[in-house]
Amino acid sequence: MVAMTWAVRRHRIRRTLNRVAFAFTVFVIVSPAILVFLWMLSLSLKTEIENIDYPPVFIPGTPTLANFIQVFQSSPFGRYLVNSLIVTGSATLLAILVGVPAGYGIAKAKAYRLAVLVLISRITPNLSYLIPLFILFQMLGLTGTLWPLVITHLVITVPIVVWIMIGFFEALHPDLEEAALIDGATLWQAFRHIALPLSRPGVVVAAILAFIFSWNNFIFGVVLAGRETRTLPVAVYNVLTFEQISWGPLAAAALLVTLPVLILTVVIQREIVGGLAAGGVKGG
Amino acid sequence: MAVGAALARDRAGARSVRPLWRRLAGESSEVRRPYVLFALPAMVVVAAVIVFPWLFTLFMSVHEWKVGQARTFVGLENYARLLTDERFLSAALRTIYYTALAVVTPLVLGTVSALVFHKKFPLRGFLRGVFILPMMATPVAVALVWTMMFHPQLGVLNYLLSLVGIPAQLWVYDPGTVIPSLVLVETWQWTPLVMLIVLGGLAALPTEPYEAAQLDGASAWQTFRHITFPMVLPFLMVAVIIRTIDAVKAFDIIFVISQGGPGTASETLNIFLYLQAFAFYNIGYASAVVVVFFALIITLALVLLYVRQRSKWSP
Amino acid sequence: MRHRSSQSLGISRRNLLKASAGAAGLAALGARPGFAQSSFDWKRFKGEHLEVTLTLGPRADLWQKYEKEFEELTGISVGSEKVPEQQHRQKVAIEFTSGNPSFDVATVSYHVQKQLYGRGKWLLDLRDLIKDPKITNPEFDFPDFAKGAVDYATQKDGRLDTIPINLDYWILYYNKELFAQKGVAYPKSFEEMIDAARKLNDPKNATAGFLSRGLKNANVPVWTSFLLGYGVDPIDADLTMHTDGPEAIASAKVYQTLNKECGPPGVAGFNWNECQTSFVLGKGAMWLDGIGFSLPLEDPAKSKIVGKVGYGVMPPGPKAQRSALFGDGVGIAAASKKKEAAWLYVQWATSKLMNQRHLEGQYGAPPRASAYASVKASGKLTGPKGEWLDAMSQSVAIARAGLPDIVAVTEFRDTFGVGLTNMISGADPAAELKKATEAFKPVLEKTEKS
Repeated sequence: MVAMTWAVRRHRIRRTLNRVAFAFTVFVIVSPAILVFLWMLSLSLKTEIENIDYPPVFIPGTPTLANFIQVFQSSPFGRYLVNSLIVTGSATLLAILVGVPAGYGIAKAKAYRLAVLVLISRITPNLSYLIPLFILFQMLGLTGTLWPLVITHLVITVPIVVWIMIGFFEALHPDLEEAALIDGATLWQAFRHIALPLSRPGVVVAAILAFIFSWNNFIFGVVLAGRETRTLPVAVYNVLTFEQISWGPLAAAALLVTLPVLILTVVIQREIVGGLAAGGVKGG
Repeated sequence: MAVGAALARDRAGARSVRPLWRRLAGESSEVRRPYVLFALPAMVVVAAVIVFPWLFTLFMSVHEWKVGQARTFVGLENYARLLTDERFLSAALRTIYYTALAVVTPLVLGTVSALVFHKKFPLRGFLRGVFILPMMATPVAVALVWTMMFHPQLGVLNYLLSLVGIPAQLWVYDPGTVIPSLVLVETWQWTPLVMLIVLGGLAALPTEPYEAAQLDGASAWQTFRHITFPMVLPFLMVAVIIRTIDAVKAFDIIFVISQGGPGTASETLNIFLYLQAFAFYNIGYASAVVVVFFALIITLALVLLYVRQRSKWSP
Repeated sequence: MRHRSSQSLGISRRNLLKASAGAAGLAALGARPGFAQSSFDWKRFKGEHLEVTLTLGPRADLWQKYEKEFEELTGISVGSEKVPEQQHRQKVAIEFTSGNPSFDVATVSYHVQKQLYGRGKWLLDLRDLIKDPKITNPEFDFPDFAKGAVDYATQKDGRLDTIPINLDYWILYYNKELFAQKGVAYPKSFEEMIDAARKLNDPKNATAGFLSRGLKNANVPVWTSFLLGYGVDPIDADLTMHTDGPEAIASAKVYQTLNKECGPPGVAGFNWNECQTSFVLGKGAMWLDGIGFSLPLEDPAKSKIVGKVGYGVMPPGPKAQRSALFGDGVGIAAASKKKEAAWLYVQWATSKLMNQRHLEGQYGAPPRASAYASVKASGKLTGPKGEWLDAMSQSVAIARAGLPDIVAVTEFRDTFGVGLTNMISGADPAAELKKATEAFKPVLEKTEKS
């Protein structure tokens, strides 16, 4: 009897220990992710002198919003925000329009050669696009408009959408479509009225991820955009002046640019997890 | 990516018998042609964006052209020069070193994290969301923050080390430690991606083998080694391929944090390409670098695909 | 700027910018130069629009701050943007290459882009415009620009495609408090610099005796600062390289000793910003860099050494006392369709008034002599600011281009920069310089002959 309770107790202790160990593991895994962002937040709220102090100041002594103000002064932040929304929005929308059917076609036809063509656009170093595309847009008279950015961002968004959608359509059971086709529906109708509604979660994920990776793109925004057409990540670099260190404004800009995406990520993490696991995707 | 998706699907098995890489080569079975039409608009869009840059790059790679000066045809001279260019060759070796580290580390940590997040625990969804934040953040922005954290005198990292009694490190400020330090950032940023891919694999696992193993009294490690690992292997291969392509192409992090330095200690192919194209304006030579670089990535990807297929045939 | 060789040239060419700061005899000072007084018709291009692209930094801030003034003066609307240096260079070069740039006015750095732009004839030759009284304000007074600055701006073939906007002299910042604690005097030679650095170096308190750039490419001006003190330029006008001779080796040894023995840990990866950070925290006794980096030093929000900063002129080397010089200018795109309106903008941005504001606000070192005279007369820069101004005035007299005037200047910096970084890790200066010189020679021949 006594031995029995001892065994139970030991079992309980072990379980508790295991739990603590597991919790600790989770803590270790998650903390680097969150700490860097907390440090960013701390930097953005401190004065420059506190930011370069040693030992580091973690909690701002005299929290200041001056860094954020400087960000808004150093770039037309609102303008960049609008541009980013237009560019990323259009590139995402267009990618959904062409990418969802493409994912369907490739999945159904098992046309992986075509998938590889899409892959090539991703393997090509972004740097090698810059000069030829600038010249091309110049010839087409598109410089100074938002088109060059929307078009180049398609290189980022289309592959993401296509890959994720291939995954979703392959996992879809073909019975319903087959039945529709036998009933005399065209391929398009089968896609439009049966496959598409069923793969709606996939479309949502694809759109979200395409949006995020397009949002983060920096280099196209610098070189291919004009003064009026810059996108938001450029603002991060604009607070980095030559001749003066400016960690505070830098962190503030980084935070402002990243925050929408971070919030979006935490809110919809379930969908993202599903989508990424299905497509195995990263943009860029 | 498509290959990734296809591979992952291959694991589920049975849908296709022939090796994926042969299908990639075009021998697709039972192609129901009209379906390909669905892909047409996307193909047109992608081609429209990449075809001109590619023709331009190929054309320039057989010319000598420095921006602002006359362009002359030089045949394959640029390619020949690459073979004897010490900077290029060591950049290539360095790229391999960087890639190896930047593939393996996130792979191991990503797998571990996936096993953790596969379990059910309170706040799991929220913490998983937090965990994948690094890969969602604007790369340029986080790289700049890391630069400051690496500072040998004032950086937070050395401060944290000093709290646990580890002497200050030079991180990216020393030729010997710069690449591992950069890989640390790369790992921080892209471990979540590996985690998500593996998590997807774990979610798709059947439960029967585990029940059988439990009955046989297998240890946790045995279960992982003999059941989980073989079954997630295809997903790991997907992760390897994605990580390889991205690590070879890594640019933002290296450029922002170390600019290829100290000296040339972190000058990878992409940084070398940047120097030639946008610092020296040797567009012809840089174009040859792009072509060779691209061939390298494609070869690497195909080799990995091939290895993956081979491993499938000998269980 | 271009010098055949320091030995064979007259004093006026050897001592760059001699005509500049503090030059006596400048009358009519104190009064603010304005724009509206003269009969010059500023309004002739009313209603036009100009696109201006600037390198991010203090000058861009200054110009944008007063941009409205130009718009009101001329009725021309201006769209200006500032882009970080590296991205700006890329963008401007790509746009010029395409043949149809989107901007009318652009800033140019003399030490990096000048020759590239000159070869491409991307910018308009301004000489005829300057001489044309119809389009040039009589108060523009071109001779007011320091001769050295104009020489620096002039291309090899005699074209003047930019107006100078800022000169950056390299000076030796020092921490007066640390010097006093150890009883060290301001060095008067390179040897004394090394001695002082050794005495002041205090690794236990994480304080470096000497701070300078170790990062590849950025580090080359540090070395050439010493090289100039040995009486030679890195590369002469006839393309003779002095980069592996005895002077080069001796100066590289100074660089190596200071950084390796007395530099902070990790200096091989330091650029100006790491140096500046250490210096404002009082963690460095000396810091060799451009005078334009002084802005945060006296700002209590950014510096812990306010009031303790000494602004020293570069000590003399064995053969000469030299301050390495860098500079920027502003030019008009040759393909611009609004060249004359753009010229009005350039005249305004480089006017006496703007130069004066430039100096008063410590936005850097302007090229006009009148700016120095009027600021001295007005007594606006006193205390630490006065010391800063003194260091600048003295550097003007000994300034000399810190980087060779060649097309492939970035390759030069890159190739020699790698060698210098290796020296910090202990490599032999003579061997590294020889290797770099051999690697760079073919590049030089190829790029200069065409």
